[in-house]
Amino acid sequence: MSDTAGNGAILVVGGGISGITAALEAAEVGNDVFIIEKNPYFGGRVAQLNQYFPKLCPPTCGLEINFKRIKDNRKIRTYSLTTVKSISGGPGNYEVQLETAPRYINSNCTACGDCAQACTDEIDDEFNFGMGKTKAAYLPHEMAFPRRYVLKKEACSAACLDAVKAACKYNAVDLDMQPKTFTLKVSSIIWSTGWNPYDPEKITNLKFNSSSAIITNMMMERLAAPNGPTQGKILRPGDKKEPESFAFVQCAGSRDENHLEHCSYICCMATFKHISYIREQYPEAQVYVFYIDLRTPGKYEHFREKFADDANVTFVKGKVADITAERDGGVTVIAENALTGAKVNQKVDLCVLATGMQPALGEEGKALGVTMDGNGFVVSEPEKGMIAAGCAKSAVDVYTSGQSSTAAALKAIQIGQ
Amino acid sequence: MSMNVQPDLDFIKAMKEAGGDTLKQCYQCATCSVACPLSTDDNPFPRKQMIMAQWGMREQLSNDASIFLCHQCGDCTEMCPRGARPGDVLGAIRAYAYRSLGWPTALADLCSSAKNLPMLIGIPAIVIFVLWVISGGMHIPSAEHFAEAGYTQFFGHWDFRLLAKNVLFIDIIMLTAAGIAVTSVYKGLSKMWKNMESSLGKNDVAYRPSIPQFIKQFLWPAVVEIMQHTRFKECTVNVDRVKGHKPLLLAFIGLFIVTCYSLFTQDVLGIIWPSMHGPLSMLNPVKWLANVSAIAMIVGVGILWMNRAKMEAEGKAQNTFYDWFLIWMIMGVGVTGFAAELLRLVGIPSLGYVIYYLHLISVAMLFLYMPYTKFAHIVYRTFALAFERFRESSYIKNPLNQ
Repeated sequence: MSDTAGNGAILVVGGGISGITAALEAAEVGNDVFIIEKNPYFGGRVAQLNQYFPKLCPPTCGLEINFKRIKDNRKIRTYSLTTVKSISGGPGNYEVQLETAPRYINSNCTACGDCAQACTDEIDDEFNFGMGKTKAAYLPHEMAFPRRYVLKKEACSAACLDAVKAACKYNAVDLDMQPKTFTLKVSSIIWSTGWNPYDPEKITNLKFNSSSAIITNMMMERLAAPNGPTQGKILRPGDKKEPESFAFVQCAGSRDENHLEHCSYICCMATFKHISYIREQYPEAQVYVFYIDLRTPGKYEHFREKFADDANVTFVKGKVADITAERDGGVTVIAENALTGAKVNQKVDLCVLATGMQPALGEEGKALGVTMDGNGFVVSEPEKGMIAAGCAKSAVDVYTSGQSSTAAALKAIQIGQ
Repeated sequence: MSMNVQPDLDFIKAMKEAGGDTLKQCYQCATCSVACPLSTDDNPFPRKQMIMAQWGMREQLSNDASIFLCHQCGDCTEMCPRGARPGDVLGAIRAYAYRSLGWPTALADLCSSAKNLPMLIGIPAIVIFVLWVISGGMHIPSAEHFAEAGYTQFFGHWDFRLLAKNVLFIDIIMLTAAGIAVTSVYKGLSKMWKNMESSLGKNDVAYRPSIPQFIKQFLWPAVVEIMQHTRFKECTVNVDRVKGHKPLLLAFIGLFIVTCYSLFTQDVLGIIWPSMHGPLSMLNPVKWLANVSAIAMIVGVGILWMNRAKMEAEGKAQNTFYDWFLIWMIMGVGVTGFAAELLRLVGIPSLGYVIYYLHLISVAMLFLYMPYTKFAHIVYRTFALAFERFRESSYIKNPLNQ
């Protein structure tokens, strides 16, 4: 595998479902591909879901086969914990400076887990959005690829580090590991940097921090996931109550000039999907969905119909604009029902904010020479060898991400030929 | 059931002129109705009024008490996800309502646009000027005479003791202006109340309150609430307005008392004791009230002026003639009145008379244009607050049936 100029090699920035798809499509037609990922694991947001559209598969279903394709393909080189520092050159001849953050665990790791057992310090479990703790020496999640532990050195005491190092039978713990910079020469760059859930604390009127009964839709995915903090049981964080009623707050931060101006596309369907999770565990639970418009793109309309007929699911046209924490641990959501013209004060046990997609590539993208639109999405410029894929390009679902990633690969392989 | 909506283009145009041009941004998410600290559970606003305005349903809007219950806090505008500025739109709807309730229509239309400002100032200026010429009082008095009589012989003097010449001319100007305003307000209020009542859909009410009952149960509590500024204080974004509005309101009450006192002493007691004519002594407690009120008026409207300018600079409010015209008029009345008094005290009759002439113009404008400008809120909002109590009362809602 060469990394000399004019070789038609492609750099894929972001190792979620879009980046993986684009990388595989390009590599399987013979191009050299470098795929980098900021996190210590590949799989991105899909890895955090319980089930994903269009067929409501668990993430193992789609990701595992793709990881296997990556492992089997000698044209692809993967770099986790790696970010782009600078870009120079032009289409067909880019020179990219990259930096890999220290993992403190080298490739000797067999993922035996002895280090985690020996580790005495704990950190917030980021994979589960802070719902629970994990050891500072940890495997990001049970199907993590690369299957290698990570050590969060700065969170550990000296004694803890000694214990972790001593516990490893394979000499995999390397506490002196330093950030490593290196240069790649590529013809084009695919930006598949994906999205972050919009920070619910910024929506001040929804008072996210006022009650543990207010969660985000991505937290709901983790609560419902078998490898999540509750082993897949939907329980209220904090007191572990089995909720008898749920409120879904649609457009929490989306379609809003003060937050994200765009429609995040997935949140309505995510809510219907969450109702399906709830119905599996709580057939009698009351569900209230507060919406401006329910947007069910394409064939998903049929999925909506299934829950529209449920007598215990109430749809209220009106955005929730205020939430009050109640003493019993629940919350009251307040909205105006635009169809009746009266205000609704609905008390529920668990309130799910359907927060939207904030493009993950922020201002640093502009500094790297990426063109971005007013909402922070990457504008694809194939003539410049800068191509956007998936949610970096626009707010879409997994299915559409797959399409746009294949399209991005097709554009990328035409550059530098 | 199909519904045929005929958008009213004239209405939409009027909305745009009065600062409601953001109206069409609204996509009915209803955030505003929850953000509004004044909107109630049963009759939330302004989401409904926004779509009614979009559809040009001006009749229904003029019958809607909610548009007057809005105090334009701006909390809804602050949280609106689309920049539709519901607070400004409701202000524009009120401007439209005052205009459509106003009588005579020509005068109401005249007051709706800054383009008519020369006319708006010109009419009272010319009328007063002509009367000044006719009265024969149009010459600058000597310093001694000015010190003694002040402005009480602005329109000259005669020896007919039953009615002073100056009083006659002042009454011709001000009672005419006030008379038109009172007639207009009476007609407007009757229309508004009838419309609002019919919007309740209860045409065969078994008992109606008598006038004393109405005042005691609905109007007086509304007035008390206005005095206390209860709703103003609910606003979060723009709560500073209370600091300006409250002194201004008290100033108006103070000056109303002073005017009544003056009217009584000059027009009634003056018949028996001609010495009652002339400026009030600085030692008279009523004069103290007058001075304190004048200062409160200038300070209050000054605070509102700065507040409004600040909000506009921050992009939180639109610059509209409807809002500024009232601020300018009140500032005009306050500044010319106070300046005229100071010039009298320091004894500069020439400039004093000119300023007093401007003072008469601004006071006449305030009276005459009251029913058609933002000033109209003092009557329409007061009665809307009374109506809000009325529609919740047992005259309308039988508690046994609830």
